Amino acid sequence: MLALAAAVLLPRIETRLALAVGAAGSALLAAVGVAAAAGWSRTSLGLGSWLGFGSAHLTADGLGGIFLALVGATGAAVSIALLERPPSRFVATLHALILLAVATVVAADQAFVFLLAWETITLSLYLLAASDRDRPGALVSAYFGASLSKIGGASLLAAFALLYGKTGSFSFGIWAGAHDLGAARSIGFVLLLFGFGSKIGLIPTQAGLPPLYGAAPGATAATIAIASNAGFYGLWRLVFQTLGPGPSWWGDVVLVLGALTALVGILYAVTQDEIARFLGFSSVEHGGIILLGFGVALLGQSAHQPDLAAAGLLAATLHLIMHGLAKTLAFLSADRVAEATGTGDLQPLGGLAPRLPRTAIGFGLAVLSLAAMPPFGGFVSEWFTFEALLQSFRLGSTTSELIMALAAAILALTAGIGLLAFAKLYGGIFLGRARTLLTHLREPSAGVGVAGLALIVFALGGAAPWEIRWLGRGLEAALGFDPAGSTISFPLVLGPVYTHFSVLAPTWLAAGIPAFILTSALIVKLLLRPPVRRAPVWLSGTAPGVALVQYTPDSYANPIRVVLSSAYRFRRTLEPPEGGSADAHQRVLRTSVTPAFEAYFYGPLVQTMLRVSALTRRLQSGRLATYLLYVLIVLIVALALIPALHNS
Amino acid sequence: MSDTPQSANRLRLVVADPHELLAPQLAVVEASPPGERRLRVPLARIDGALEALVRHGGRLSALFLVSAPEPSLLAAVAFQGDLLALRAPLEGAREYPSLSRVTPAALLPERELHDLHGLVPVGQPDLLPAVPPDPDTFPRRVVGDQTFVIPYGPIRSGVFESIQYVIETAGEDVLALQVRPFFKYRALERRFAGVDLDHAVQIAERVAAIAGVAHATAFCQAVERALGVEPTRRAQRWRVVHAELERIANHLDVAVKLAEDAALSVGAARFAVLKEQIQRLRAGLCGSRFGRGVLATGGLAAGPLLEPKTVLATLDGFERQLKRDRRLLLRTASFTDRLIGSGTLDRDAIDDYAGVGPVARACGVAADARFERPYGAYVRVGGRISTVDDGDAMGRLRVRLFEIGESLHIIRQAFERLDKYGPELRAGVPASDGAALGWAEAPMGEVIYWVEVANDRVGTLRISSPSLRNWPLFADAFRGDVLTDFAFIEHSFGLTPAGADR
Amino acid sequence: MIEWVARGLRTGIVTSRYPRRPEEPPRGFRGRIDVLRPEHGDAALTGICPTGAIAVDDARRVSLDRGSCILCGLCVSADPERFAFGRVYETAERRRASLVAGEPPPHDLHELRQTLGERSRTLRRSIHIRHVDTGSDGGEEWEIQALTNPYYDIQRLGFFFTLSPRHADILLVSGSVTESMRAPLLRAWEAMPEPKAVVAAGTDACSGGLSAATGVTAGGVDRVLPVDVYVPGSPPSPIALLHGLLLATGVLNDEAAA
Repeated sequence: MLALAAAVLLPRIETRLALAVGAAGSALLAAVGVAAAAGWSRTSLGLGSWLGFGSAHLTADGLGGIFLALVGATGAAVSIALLERPPSRFVATLHALILLAVATVVAADQAFVFLLAWETITLSLYLLAASDRDRPGALVSAYFGASLSKIGGASLLAAFALLYGKTGSFSFGIWAGAHDLGAARSIGFVLLLFGFGSKIGLIPTQAGLPPLYGAAPGATAATIAIASNAGFYGLWRLVFQTLGPGPSWWGDVVLVLGALTALVGILYAVTQDEIARFLGFSSVEHGGIILLGFGVALLGQSAHQPDLAAAGLLAATLHLIMHGLAKTLAFLSADRVAEATGTGDLQPLGGLAPRLPRTAIGFGLAVLSLAAMPPFGGFVSEWFTFEALLQSFRLGSTTSELIMALAAAILALTAGIGLLAFAKLYGGIFLGRARTLLTHLREPSAGVGVAGLALIVFALGGAAPWEIRWLGRGLEAALGFDPAGSTISFPLVLGPVYTHFSVLAPTWLAAGIPAFILTSALIVKLLLRPPVRRAPVWLSGTAPGVALVQYTPDSYANPIRVVLSSAYRFRRTLEPPEGGSADAHQRVLRTSVTPAFEAYFYGPLVQTMLRVSALTRRLQSGRLATYLLYVLIVLIVALALIPALHNS
Repeated sequence: MSDTPQSANRLRLVVADPHELLAPQLAVVEASPPGERRLRVPLARIDGALEALVRHGGRLSALFLVSAPEPSLLAAVAFQGDLLALRAPLEGAREYPSLSRVTPAALLPERELHDLHGLVPVGQPDLLPAVPPDPDTFPRRVVGDQTFVIPYGPIRSGVFESIQYVIETAGEDVLALQVRPFFKYRALERRFAGVDLDHAVQIAERVAAIAGVAHATAFCQAVERALGVEPTRRAQRWRVVHAELERIANHLDVAVKLAEDAALSVGAARFAVLKEQIQRLRAGLCGSRFGRGVLATGGLAAGPLLEPKTVLATLDGFERQLKRDRRLLLRTASFTDRLIGSGTLDRDAIDDYAGVGPVARACGVAADARFERPYGAYVRVGGRISTVDDGDAMGRLRVRLFEIGESLHIIRQAFERLDKYGPELRAGVPASDGAALGWAEAPMGEVIYWVEVANDRVGTLRISSPSLRNWPLFADAFRGDVLTDFAFIEHSFGLTPAGADR
Repeated sequence: MIEWVARGLRTGIVTSRYPRRPEEPPRGFRGRIDVLRPEHGDAALTGICPTGAIAVDDARRVSLDRGSCILCGLCVSADPERFAFGRVYETAERRRASLVAGEPPPHDLHELRQTLGERSRTLRRSIHIRHVDTGSDGGEEWEIQALTNPYYDIQRLGFFFTLSPRHADILLVSGSVTESMRAPLLRAWEAMPEPKAVVAAGTDACSGGLSAATGVTAGGVDRVLPVDVYVPGSPPSPIALLHGLLLATGVLNDEAAA
């Protein structure tokens, strides 16, 4: 508990020491979280009332413990990674500050502390993204992301103010107990959904987050990923546990938004050329998938079917953890690639696997988990999400059933496109032949943090039953019962809370698949012993450089672009090169992708806002006389209003 | 039987006398054998002369380096039905004004002249060596991160002749296509030098085996024109029969390949059966499935081994089956859908590159040497030029299927009144000198030979192959087509690399 | 689609029974040139042949190299007593020297059928052929393509054409190997796994044919690769090619058993 405050301490002069302390603190945090979720101990840190607005505590209970564990583990890994190649003092400070703020958000039980920490996160993210001013596009990304986050924060503030007005307190506990909220409950839901969604990247705010990832220096992109967990926590705590149960349209809305977010996220991701932005959009996609599970949980809650709610919430939480760990690993590995090759772009890379083997393995594990490949963690959690969505027949409402079914279909589509996208990413970086010849390629550092995280990610799938036991205990308070009992059947086989519906045995898979591969390889090697002769690649009898004739990452994703050309508004032109060239026939290929979302939603929105602000600018005429007039008007209005209000 | 072999859809231009037209270029009429018109122009004016002709509808059919009467550049221009031979004496020069700015049809011939004979066309933009090509290096046409190259060939996916296509793509559709012939360059034009006429016919048959009869016909026509020999009537009729059988076999082969590409197995098998019947008929007629050993200068080398009535009976049975198969093929939507709209060419491209054969006729250009410049028995035996306006692969197939019917009609006409002619198969060939152009309509278009004869031996010989003329059009035919359409478009062209590379 | 099936059924079976039963060429078919009277030749005979396939040695014995013969028939029309067309399809030989003959050689269908049967015991799979055109005149490709038409249908014997040399057992080469095709041909051969056999299809591939004199080609496949079966002919008919492929199967059997 004291670990909470003391360990994750802020700015120190000595960066390395700060990072080391930060790492240690995060690890302790993780321990606290695990313990809290498992129910072994509940810790609480009282903050008294000196912050105002009633007494505040920093507690770690079951639900919070889960999130603390996730934040702590990933934070520790990132801190260790940063430790190996320390960034500037400023960046290290911000990294630690973000971790502290996220931990506070998770631990807070009072709205004011929550909001304070939340805004700290927003501010730190902005500063982090803008810290490297020389990087092209960084400032714009930072500004855009921060603006969207600010709007989200404003929405949160509005929601809290509303609830304060109704209940007279800022404490979450009192809000949970209130029964006569009426319309405020739903309004609060919408505001909270928007506010927390802006941190996750929910539609329509999805374009804000990925550029932040691209702009963040070095491994701190992973830190931003950790920060997005705060948004999920808010939803879990405030919407599910505090405001719920609500009407069924809550679940419907979340399902629809989640499905769209997932689809849009992966469609954007497939066309990205920068690795960090790609991973950012993939985070948006997975955020959508997590929300699908959450939507099912809300539906179950509103229909008073605790099993359904448990199925949904379990799926969502499981995916949250799997994704969080795998994405952090992916970001750290991407940073290693960028460090080794000097570029964050996909196009000039290729064939790096033999030269950066450790990074390749780490990245590979992350990619396999994110692309939902068995027997890894991502597969298990997406299976759970599917199964939760397939329980639609248990609901009475046709609308909800239909929406759940559609959401399942969209989930399948995103899973397919996701596989394509990650194949493009991994293949484009590590496989094939190098597209540009890079010399002096070495592993940038020992990668202890990355290695540790990689081991965890590797084992996640097989260790799923134990994770679910732990999660079950943590979610008990929110759900009202421990779902682990009905989920885990004999022995080490999982089902989606409902028994006899369907089964998955990830532990057996995790043991079986490698065993199968190993046995086959041994049989071939030892018993069959075929003679092997290596010959050059067959290319119709020609022998140009093989790098010339292999698929580029963009062309690999081209069919999707062509098939969905209306969504992408894909333009392609062949122009003669500027400045002429020796060969009269030479042409330059230029492509542009204008995602429909930006064209049809953001574009008009921005245009409207600019027009409105242009109009209001007229009020600022700059002349002293006009301002005096304004002062006079306000005075008269105030003089008129005050008596009127006083009388009523 | 018609006596006037004209086609109904030929454009009637304002007829201008070429000599008057080219007077500003200092053109001088020369003695020419019948059917040809020779004009001599100074070397520096050759591009102006060609431009004048092209502006009035002329098309560059061949660009040769000839030796008679002196080393000169010879441009054969198809102008209002005649073949004009513009001869420009080199007089020791190695450079000449490039004709490619007048017409893109000169691009490939000029590169060949440059690589093989060292003649430099001044002002030609593209002089990268074409002959012989290096299989491993090729220039890129499209620059961009997303594009990559598929070098398709020279060894290709299937039992096909060797040619290389350099395809540049961004993943699905073809951005740029370069055709690289000359992988099979055998220097056959050189092989003819010093060879006696009987041997030379054997070589001519083997320049492009699937158009061997047409090549031999063009060669024999050239020699006969140069030496003033008129082959016997009977021999001319049989030449037409063999030429049309060869045309039928080629067109059926295109149908087989297209049906195989569309995975229409029974359709492909049916047309393969029809083609095999024709090949066996040819073997029965002369002992060779490719019509070899039939032609000789002055007539035929040997008499046919089958009676005309046997041939006609076989062809009747063949035609009955063909009609049913053809009707069924054109009704199979899964097949026609792949062809309609694929590989569309427009008329301007055909005119620019002086395209010939079914490729040109599918774009509405009525170019057919049998009826524009009738030779041999075609002067008496008539037929119709078939043109369509589609310009796509479907149009090319339709032209070919129609032509099979026309060929059967021509063969039947050729056999009529055969018994009225004398039995002589071969006219005597005098041992004199001469030089002339000869042409014939091969299944893929007009093939032109320039032959110089001295002392019963061949001197300089040049060949203008229809496949080489049409291949630049192939690169042009890809407009928004995807890689999977490649096979259809290529087979619908029906060209042969052996003829192009020589 | 049903109509195509009906059409195919109505065509009936047109497939040849070769090698179970012999195939008879039509009258006058140019299968090969037989030297009827090899003695008392004179040197003038050598000038008749465009490729120089006719040779007269010091003992005035006339021999004809079938590997260089393009079946033009000029020798037959010049001296019909001495030269005649052989009305036979099978002309393939395993050794180049066997193609130069004074008298026509016998051939045995029974042996060929045995070869096919043996293959099913030693190789236990179908035979895949990769074709490479190294400068032919285009006729060999038509005849090789004809092997898959319903009349010959080599697939009934277990022969298939493959696109990748990695899966090929037999390399079927046509053409006299031009300069540009030399490297691709070698690459195709190197990409094939053992056991493999090379079949030279056509006179151009056996000896360079008409284009040998110009010097721009290698003058035959055996100048570049070790050839196992020579199939002369200009072009060789489909049955001749099939005969050659069956001989090549024998080569593969021997290699596999070794």
